[in-house]
Amino acid sequence: MTVRHLVTGAALCGLVACAGVLGLTRSGPSAFPHRSHVVAGVSCTRCHAGVDSGSPELHLPDDASCTAGCHAGPHDTRPCLTCHVAPGAIAALTEARDHIKFDHRRHAGSTRGNCMRCHNGVADGDDHLRPAMATCFACHAGDARRDARRCDACHKDLADEGTLPQTHLAHDGDWLREHGTRAASSGDVCQSCHQPSYCAECHGKTVPVLPATRRFADPFAASVHRAGFEARHSLEAKSSPGSCTTCHSPDRCVACHTARGVAGPSTGSPHPPGWVGLTAGSNLHGREARRDPVACAGCHGGAGETLCVQCHAVGGVGGNPHPPGWSSRQPMSAMPCRMCHPVGSR
Amino acid sequence: MKRLPALAAALAVVTHGHAAADPLRLRADALATTASPAGLLVLDASGAAQPGLSAEAVVWVAGNTAADRMTGDDARGDVLVIAVDAHTADGAAAARIGRFVSTLGALRPEHIDGAAVRFRLPYQVDVEAVGGVPVLPGLMTSRTWDWLAGGRIARRFSDWGSAGIAYEQVRTDGRLVTEEVAADVGATLGRHDDVGARAAYDLANPGLAEVSLTASHRTEHLRTELYASELSASHLLPATSLFSVIGDVPSERAGAVLTWAAAPRLDLTADAGARRVDADVAPELTARAKLKLDDRGASALSAELRRSGVGSEAWTGARGAARIAFGHALWASTELELVRPDDPRGRGALWPWVLAALGWDRGDWQAAAAVEASASPEYRSRVDALFQLSRRWGTP
Repeated sequence: MTVRHLVTGAALCGLVACAGVLGLTRSGPSAFPHRSHVVAGVSCTRCHAGVDSGSPELHLPDDASCTAGCHAGPHDTRPCLTCHVAPGAIAALTEARDHIKFDHRRHAGSTRGNCMRCHNGVADGDDHLRPAMATCFACHAGDARRDARRCDACHKDLADEGTLPQTHLAHDGDWLREHGTRAASSGDVCQSCHQPSYCAECHGKTVPVLPATRRFADPFAASVHRAGFEARHSLEAKSSPGSCTTCHSPDRCVACHTARGVAGPSTGSPHPPGWVGLTAGSNLHGREARRDPVACAGCHGGAGETLCVQCHAVGGVGGNPHPPGWSSRQPMSAMPCRMCHPVGSR
Repeated sequence: MKRLPALAAALAVVTHGHAAADPLRLRADALATTASPAGLLVLDASGAAQPGLSAEAVVWVAGNTAADRMTGDDARGDVLVIAVDAHTADGAAAARIGRFVSTLGALRPEHIDGAAVRFRLPYQVDVEAVGGVPVLPGLMTSRTWDWLAGGRIARRFSDWGSAGIAYEQVRTDGRLVTEEVAADVGATLGRHDDVGARAAYDLANPGLAEVSLTASHRTEHLRTELYASELSASHLLPATSLFSVIGDVPSERAGAVLTWAAAPRLDLTADAGARRVDADVAPELTARAKLKLDDRGASALSAELRRSGVGSEAWTGARGAARIAFGHALWASTELELVRPDDPRGRGALWPWVLAALGWDRGDWQAAAAVEASASPEYRSRVDALFQLSRRWGTP
């Protein structure tokens, strides 16, 4: 045996191991060979006897039905379905039975006994024993209950259902960023699964603690504030001005900073030299305020606005803070106009 | 502590209304950390009294938060949600009343105490209306003349899409703080393509407040998404704020996300885009891999590299996470994040964050404990311990 053989053998072992880790090969029980049974002319109801009776059992074949006339000499003492079904398949069927209002008996006529009309994925393995929802709507396209988002017409207790939607509402990609745009036009669809608290956990004003903290033991739970967000939150906020305001009120920053002692009367000014001056080169605050007015409002909101008015009121040395073409529908007597525009001025 | 009776009463309203609930659920989460808040108890009750009538309430009490230490209050609590939903048997009319997050199309979500109704009219037209009082933290927070009112009209297009227009006005102390009109559209084009868009326009200080577009193409193993968004911070402020009058400098972001199921247990994601704030333009890059170690995904590893931020706020980061299941009930997990800011400004050149957790889930009972350690601009080093115990009751 040469070194070349050894290297080739090691590489092959590595590839096999990789294939196993990546799920390209299955080490556990294999999928049930539905295809070969159909090709052999075995009808579905011969093994799944009673499935069209409407009774709530799963109607999986037992060992007796497997050995009766077919597999007369079993090669193992364990029940057949210990090995001859993919992992999780029976749990998925149980999940479907528990959470879907479905009666095989009522569908037997319309499908003319052709199970493959709905179970069109069984030939590809046990991952698709439960038909996709799109399959249902191939026939039930005009269902008024579906049109009215009445998911409970078919689903029992959606909030508790463990099967996530795969065909009609896949939450894949960067769903955290995308969900707002999707929910804008389909909010009623979201509500068919998610209860009011689901939105409030992030968008509520009375959230007790960050959702990521409540799910600290699940490293794959999606959250804006996951991992070391606290350390980098100032970078995130300044790189996307206003994004925090979509959930938090502007005074949230100063309230938290004051409570933690990183801001407040005793900490001094956080601004660099040249923040406020009479020349453009020594007057950084104007540009920064236009970029991120929410950051300014965080500390200088409310009574703090009078600091700006000292210079920017009509006739003040700070000049007009409005950009060209700026307009407002607010009357001059309303806030904040009247702060700089005394009655009678323009 | 004087607020506890009010919280208990709020919960009792829900649970009493579901004496014959089917199903009725109650969940209690107790969270304790050595940092703030030191203790938190969250109670979540939901149930359906009869077909077409359901309710949910989430209330919490916490002790020893940083804010409480400042005020001398030793415990506080609040209601996150307490809402009753009702709908007609055919789904043509639905109503919600209580405290909830109101979502009206492309308008920003608002947490309100109020009511919402939805009617499904002929020709696939939907009409929604919302009215109420914006929520302020603190059960005893005094209110003045604050209110919110809005509505949306939408048209569904068979099974493949919808488009809507929404309007909302918010007043605080009787003064106009928000007046916005918004449009949304979403469509599924064939089996593989989706598009969605939303835009909100500020009527109080006329200008575009927010725009977002997304389009995706999906095949069995590959999903491609193009996205773009624009956000104008000055229009997100209350119209009564002086800082709402200094003009529009929107932040913009655009890019593409590619998600590839490279193998049955391996997902790869790449997000490449750019962000612009004023004159500064910077790349936004993310590469992520997640490997499931078993078919259920109970054990998994993930790794992520990220480049983000604009100008002096740019940073580069790496994150790794692992979750290993020991049987069905026990698992261990860990997360590690390293962030390197481009401009440390004396706040530390590297900000590490690490968490190691142990969890146990036996159906109705769940428990977890973790140790979190980090160095950040705020703390040179910090170690925190977290504990959680949850119990779920339910009558399916």
